[in-house]
Amino acid sequence: MTNVDASKPVPVPLPEAAPIAAAGTRIAAWRLLLRSPVTVASAVVLLVLVLVAVVAAPLVAAGVNHTDVLHALQGPSGKHWFGTDDLGRDILVRTVGAAQVSLTVAVVSVAFALIVGTAAGVLAGYLGGWVDTVIMRIADVMFAFPVLLLALAIVAILQPGMVTTILAIGVVYTPIFARVARASTLAVRVEPYVEVSRTMGTPTWAILVRHVLPGISGPVLVQTSLSLAFAILSEAALSFLGLGIQPPQPSWGGMLFTAQGFLGLAWWMSVFPGAAIFVSVLAFNLLGDGLRDVLDPRQRTVLEARTRR
Amino acid sequence: MARVAVSRGRGPAVIAGAVAAALLLAGCSTGSKVDVKGSGGAGGASGTLKVAIAGEPDQLDPQKTSSYFSFEVLENVFDTLVEPDAKLTMQPALAKSWTTSTDQLTWTFSLRQGVTFQDGSKFSASDVVYSYNRIIDDKLSNAYKFANVKSVTAKDPSTVVISLKQPTPNLLSNLGGFKGMAIVEKSNVTDKKIATQPIGTGPFSVAKWTQGDSITLKANPKYWGGAPKVAGITYRFISSGATAIAALKSGEIDWTDSIPAQQVSTLKSASGITLGNVPSNDYWYLALNEKRKPWNDVRVRQAIAYAINRDDIVKVAKYGNAQVNELAIPKQSAWYTSYDKYSTNIAKAKQLLSQAGVSGTVKLDFLATSDYPETVSAAQVIADELQPLGIKVSIRTPDFATWLQQQNSGKFDMLMMGWLGNIDPDDFYYNQHHTGGGSNAQGYSNKTVDKLLDAARTETDQAKRKQDYAQAATQIADDASYIYLYNPTVIQAYDSKVKGYTVRGDRAIRFKDVSLG
Repeated sequence: MTNVDASKPVPVPLPEAAPIAAAGTRIAAWRLLLRSPVTVASAVVLLVLVLVAVVAAPLVAAGVNHTDVLHALQGPSGKHWFGTDDLGRDILVRTVGAAQVSLTVAVVSVAFALIVGTAAGVLAGYLGGWVDTVIMRIADVMFAFPVLLLALAIVAILQPGMVTTILAIGVVYTPIFARVARASTLAVRVEPYVEVSRTMGTPTWAILVRHVLPGISGPVLVQTSLSLAFAILSEAALSFLGLGIQPPQPSWGGMLFTAQGFLGLAWWMSVFPGAAIFVSVLAFNLLGDGLRDVLDPRQRTVLEARTRR
Repeated sequence: MARVAVSRGRGPAVIAGAVAAALLLAGCSTGSKVDVKGSGGAGGASGTLKVAIAGEPDQLDPQKTSSYFSFEVLENVFDTLVEPDAKLTMQPALAKSWTTSTDQLTWTFSLRQGVTFQDGSKFSASDVVYSYNRIIDDKLSNAYKFANVKSVTAKDPSTVVISLKQPTPNLLSNLGGFKGMAIVEKSNVTDKKIATQPIGTGPFSVAKWTQGDSITLKANPKYWGGAPKVAGITYRFISSGATAIAALKSGEIDWTDSIPAQQVSTLKSASGITLGNVPSNDYWYLALNEKRKPWNDVRVRQAIAYAINRDDIVKVAKYGNAQVNELAIPKQSAWYTSYDKYSTNIAKAKQLLSQAGVSGTVKLDFLATSDYPETVSAAQVIADELQPLGIKVSIRTPDFATWLQQQNSGKFDMLMMGWLGNIDPDDFYYNQHHTGGGSNAQGYSNKTVDKLLDAARTETDQAKRKQDYAQAATQIADDASYIYLYNPTVIQAYDSKVKGYTVRGDRAIRFKDVSLG
C-alpha cells in the first residue's frame, strides 16, 4: 500500500528551450502522444473511469448502501455480477459507487497539492533569498516523514472522514509539487525572454503568469498524473486502516478492509475493489509515463527520430 | 490489549472485547512440538494440554488484573470461597458451607479443611480476611462488590464472618462470580511476586511465564478437589484467528478460543475437532442519548426499536452465533424474563414518529467502534433499516478508548455496545438504568424503575426479588432505555481427544477435569 516513490519528485529533466518556440520545426505534442498505443489505451481507461464516476455512480447511488442480509456473502452470479458482501450489498454497485469517491478524493487532493505546491515552488524559485530558504526548509521537514505516517498524523488530529482524507493527502503531496515547480522555475527564470521581460519593467506577477508558469507546465503535468495514481493508493491505504472514508460510504480501500476478514470465505469481496485500484493506478502511471516521454526534450528527440524514420 | 479489558460486569464489552480486539492484530508465536509424554507428571496424570488464547495476560495478580487473558490462566490457579456451576448458581469451593443470620446481616462461612497453597503453606480463615481486606483497603477495581460489607473477620482458623450494612441477597455471586475475588497468599503479595509468580490453591500452579511466548502451568497433585488428569498446561498467545484455527487443525494446539465468528462455519465440518458454541450471559444493546432531542421522547426511541430487524443484526454481527433477546438476561439464566414487544414493524414505527411530531429528515450520529467490528457491521444494517423512517444515520468508528470518552461526555445520538460476564440481575440493570447510575450514559430516569431496583437490591425473598427485576426490566425495555439486541454465544474449539471439558456460559475456562484421550 505504501509507496516510496511518491515522496520523491519525478526526475523530469528541465526544458532547455521554451517548448512552444520550437513548435514550428517539431511534431505537435498531442500527435506524438497519439502515436503511443499504451498512452492512448491508458487515456481511454481513465476516460471510462471518469464516465463511471460521473455518469454511472449517481445512477447506482441509491443502492450503494442497500443491505440484504439474507443474501449475504454470495458469489458472482447473474443477479450480482461481482457477488455480495457480508451485509448482502451488491459489490458491483459498491465498486462503481466507490469510483466516484476515490476519484473525487484523488482529484481534489491533488488539485490542492498542485495549486499550493506549485505556487510555493514558483515563488521560492523565482524570488530566491529567504523566501526560498523558508519554503524549501518547510518542504524538507515534510519530506522527512514517510507519506503514510504524515497522513495518519493529520487524520489523528482531525476526525476521520472524506474531507480529512482529502486534506491529509493534499498536504502530504504539496511539497513534491513545490520541489518540481521550484527546480523548473530556477531554469526558466534565467531564460533570455524572461530577463528581457524583466528589464522592460513587466511586474513580477505578470512574468510569473505569462512566462514562468507555461515554462514549467510540462514537468508539473507529469507530476500531476503520477500523483493522481499515488493519491488513489493513499486513499485506499487510509481507508484500509479504517481512517479514511467512513462506513457505510463505499471506497475501494474500505472495501478491501472489510474483505480481509473473509479472505478464505469470499474471494470476490477483495478481488473486485482490488482490481479497480490496480487498473486505475496503472492507467494514471502509464499516462504519466507517456506525458513525460513527450514533454521531456531528451526523450522527445528519440521519439521524434523514431516517428520520422 | 489491556485497554479493552476491564473487569467483568463493570466495563462495557470487556471480556469478549479483548478477544475481538486481539483478533484484529496480526502476528503469532511459533509453537513448540507436541509433547506426548508430558512433563512433571503427577501420579496418573499424563500429557500436556496445549492451549492458544488470543492475547497475553498483562499480569497474573487476580485481584488487580482486568484482562480476560489473565483470567483464562488464573481460573485454573486460584479459588474463591464459592464458585458458579455450569448454571451459574453458587456452589461451595473453599467454603464448605455457610449460614445467614435471621436479620440477613451476618454471614458465617465454614472453610474446607486441609487445603494448602501450592507452596505447601496451609490455607486458613486469615487468608480470606487478608484477601478481602486487600481489595477493600487498596480500593481495587472490584471493591464495589464489598460496598455493603461492614467487616470481614476470622472467628477461628476455619470460620469467616462477614457482617453487612444492609441485606445483600447477591453476596455469594459477589464473592465467587469470578476469579477477581480469588483468595491470595499474603507472603506472595508482600514479596511482590504475585504479578508474575502467583501462588493459589487451585488445581494448577504457574511454573513459568516466558514473556511474549507462553505460560506453563504444572498440575497440583495436592489439589483439594483431586489431582488434575493432565500433567500441565501450556498457554500460547495467538491473536490471528486464522492462525489459531490452522494450528488446531494440524494438532499443534489442543484448544483455542481465538476464533472469529465468521470462521465458525469452517470449523463445523472439520473432523477431529469439537466446536463448543454455548449461550453466554453477555448482552449487546443500542442506547439513544436522552439528553438530546428528539431521542428524549420515548415514542421516538420505540420507533427505532420497532424499525430494526434483530435477526439481520445477529446475522451480520455474529453470523448467527447469538440469540435474539429483547431483554438483557439470557434464556438459560434463572433470572430470565420472557419479553417480546418489538417485532419489526415499519408502519408502527412511522406512526410513533408522527405521534411524537417528528417529520422530515432527522440526523442520527451513530457511535460504533472499530475495536468491535460487530458494532460497525450492525451500524450499517441499522442505518439502512432506519432510512424509511427519514432518519439519516452517519456512523463514526473511533477506537475503543475514544469511544468510551465520547460516550462518557455524551457526544452521541445512538451507540451500540455490550456488557459481559454478569451473573446477578443487579449487575445487569442497576448501574445502567437507575437515575444517575454509574453507567447510565444515555441519561434514563424513571422513578418506578428506581424504586424497583432499590427494593430488589436488598430483597431477600428470591421469588419477590425475581418479580421486581422482571417488572423493572420490562419497564426499561418499554421505555427503550436500552434497545436490547442479542446474547452472543461463547465460541471455543478443541481437539476431540480432549475429554471432560465443558464450554461455560460465563467464559470461565476450567481444565481441572480435562484428560487427553
